[in-house]
Amino acid sequence: MNEKIYLTPTPVRIWHWLNAFGIITLVLTGAEIRFPEYAQVLGNYKAAVRLHDTAGIVVTLSFGLWFIYYAFVARNLLRLYIPSREDIQRGMIRQAVFYGYQYFRGGPNPHHQTPENKFNALQKTAYAAIMFVCIPLVIVTGVLMMNVSSLREMVMAVGGLRLLIGAHWLVACVFCAFLFTHIYLATLGHTPFAHFKPMWTGWEEAEDPSDRNT
Amino acid sequence: MSNSSKRWVHRFIWVTAVVFVLAAPWPGGRLLAHAWDTEDCQGCHADLSILEDGGGYLYVDSARYERTAHAEVGCPSCHESVNEDHPDDGVRPSRAKCGECHDEVEAEYTESIHADNATCTDCHNPHEVKPVGQVSGAQMNRPCMECHEEDDVVASHEAWLSQTTRHIRALPCITCHTGSKVYVVTFYVGTFEERAGRSPRVALATHEELMAKAERSEGVTSVIDRDADGRVSVEELRLFYREGRAEGLQLWGMMTPEVATHNYATMDNRWDCSFCHASGPGVVQKSFVALPGPTGDYTRIPVEPGAVLDALYGTPDFYMIGATRSKTMSLIGLLIVAAGLMVPLVHGTLRLLTIRKRREH
Repeated sequence: MNEKIYLTPTPVRIWHWLNAFGIITLVLTGAEIRFPEYAQVLGNYKAAVRLHDTAGIVVTLSFGLWFIYYAFVARNLLRLYIPSREDIQRGMIRQAVFYGYQYFRGGPNPHHQTPENKFNALQKTAYAAIMFVCIPLVIVTGVLMMNVSSLREMVMAVGGLRLLIGAHWLVACVFCAFLFTHIYLATLGHTPFAHFKPMWTGWEEAEDPSDRNT
Repeated sequence: MSNSSKRWVHRFIWVTAVVFVLAAPWPGGRLLAHAWDTEDCQGCHADLSILEDGGGYLYVDSARYERTAHAEVGCPSCHESVNEDHPDDGVRPSRAKCGECHDEVEAEYTESIHADNATCTDCHNPHEVKPVGQVSGAQMNRPCMECHEEDDVVASHEAWLSQTTRHIRALPCITCHTGSKVYVVTFYVGTFEERAGRSPRVALATHEELMAKAERSEGVTSVIDRDADGRVSVEELRLFYREGRAEGLQLWGMMTPEVATHNYATMDNRWDCSFCHASGPGVVQKSFVALPGPTGDYTRIPVEPGAVLDALYGTPDFYMIGATRSKTMSLIGLLIVAAGLMVPLVHGTLRLLTIRKRREH
């Protein structure tokens, strides 16, 4: 019988799926808002703007849930998400070599998951960039753009509307790129859906160390 | 009586009859009465002293009047009852009804929701009225704001319009509430004053303010049309953005209708945000820079065709989502997305090609 580890607590799973659907909605509606003549997801610009605003609020709230849980309840936010010196000096290269070379030769995954060390060095780096830089940046620029009139002073203070929109757009593209990579790497388990199931149930089936590559 | 005497009597009777007929008080009569012309009227009504005597409502600014289409037909065309005794006769001159000439507009307006609440002259001063292309967006809104206060307008649009206050302040009401099919982007020159810790104070530049910065011999247009070729190129716009900021000038872009119909209906496509918020071959492909003249009316200079979106994007603090995106930023963003897409494509392909080897291990 395979060993099972409880890796993903309920608050994290709630955050993850709120975040996932929220960001997919933001990407689709955002494409329609920026390119209305090419991307007609809803076919109604006003609905796209409203849904984009709503999804933005949902992602902001779910980010708050994630932060409060890890920072004040589980109290392992930094340990889980900030790469250690070992991660930076050796872990990232080791993991990159695995994904880019060893994996195709059937080699073992150098990272072994535990509840206190869920992410490999590359995951930590990517997630830290997403959660500590990109999400706050997209939230701040989004809130300012939703309230251009009332927060005009702040809009001007950070460089004006076009700078905000440029930053919001580029971070959105990073999210979109991350989404492709993230979903693809999640299929690298012992079956293509092996890593999707635990994100729903919370339990990871630790059949083989090389399974855990999301 | 001799024949000669008879002829003189006949002539006298005929002349008397003709004079009587021409001077009679019926339409077509009074041809021999004193004939007033516009110049006569302006002798008193354009004299500023009339204001000092409490006759403000009788004053007509002749410079503004001369710029109206009504000047072509002259004062007596509308005030035809004025006679030689005016103003001593104490009779208030007749005033033509607008519908006598503008019958189609009147018919359209009568059917509108405004007809029960305002007459033509509540919104239009016939002595100053100008075509829609000769007024600023703020001037277009002035008659609307006589009845509709901004707070009420914002409240009534909030239910469906995002960024309501911003839209209401950035657009003339008739951008949506008129049946014009043709729209253009009109840039107005604004002055701004930097204020520490606060947003700049911005106002439409007056003719005098622009003349102070213009080549005086070439007139107000020289502030932007540097080569005086009668049109504004993208390069001239860029130059204006670069140098104008230092001189306290900037451009405001507004979407304005080419004609103003009087049914005030909101056409179906105005509810669709992408009517404005779209680039490519849409309605915002033609633009002008509008500059104020000494009498407060505006003269438009066409902007180089096809440069509207570049021009809009170059306007400081102006961004219209969906319409004024930066091509460079779009390209960088799409390259980031493409890079993200390459990971599953390249890795996935190698994964498929090495499936046998991985199974062996």
